Amino acid sequence: MSFCLDTYLQQSDDYGILLSRAGFKDCAKIINEKSEEVWHVNAGETVLGARIIGIPPIPIGVNPKKHTIIISYTKPCHGTAAIEIPVKDEDIEEIWKVVNENTRK
Amino acid sequence: MKALILLGCPESPSQTPMAVYASYKLNKLGYDVTIASTPAASKLLEISDPEGIYIKNRINIDKSLSNLDEGQYGLLVGFVPKDAAASYFVTFYHILQTKSIAIVFEKDQDILDNLTNIIEESTEADIVSIRAYHNPTPIRVKFDKAIAKLGDN
Repeated sequence: MSFCLDTYLQQSDDYGILLSRAGFKDCAKIINEKSEEVWHVNAGETVLGARIIGIPPIPIGVNPKKHTIIISYTKPCHGTAAIEIPVKDEDIEEIWKVVNENTRK
Repeated sequence: MKALILLGCPESPSQTPMAVYASYKLNKLGYDVTIASTPAASKLLEISDPEGIYIKNRINIDKSLSNLDEGQYGLLVGFVPKDAAASYFVTFYHILQTKSIAIVFEKDQDILDNLTNIIEESTEADIVSIRAYHNPTPIRVKFDKAIAKLGDN
């Protein structure tokens, strides 16, 4: 079964919140600062089973050594958070496919 | 033609009456209107229009986003009272790739300018930008002008 971000955030506690109740630009800045690599996707792309909300180009922070990614997560009444979540190698490969498709568009 | 009205956090008092008004105006122009919002904003609409005279269809904003496809709606009207609402509007805009109007409103001029810049830099939507909070009348006046352009086209 594929990873579902919304379900994961509701049912897990092993993710880190780097910034919360913030604006999108501040979260994008944190992602750029705290990640080994930064990939970009368009607004509305599906990453880890959820549509990514934000202002394109939307950064996805990738930390291959830690096996984590850092993404922005937005809710209408709670603003945007930058969250670091553990992922498997195949999840990182799935995100890379989305990034590559974006590059070709 | 189908139109989607996208609501932000219902904390801003002008949003609910303007959403009812926008739905009324678009219905009169012949649009089949759906409003996407949080459950709290949806409840405010339900109580404001108990018989569904002005608001025919309501949908959860995140469910709507999950199922959204390019061209699904012929018009997007988004309320942008906060940074998160700007992110949602830009995201819906990029998925739908359709005619769009952003209604940006805030009581603080600097925040208003910032929200307006985000929409300007990230979309080609028509923008209604107005300093407003409690009183929806200035928003209505500018919205009417934007809607009148739709009728002309």
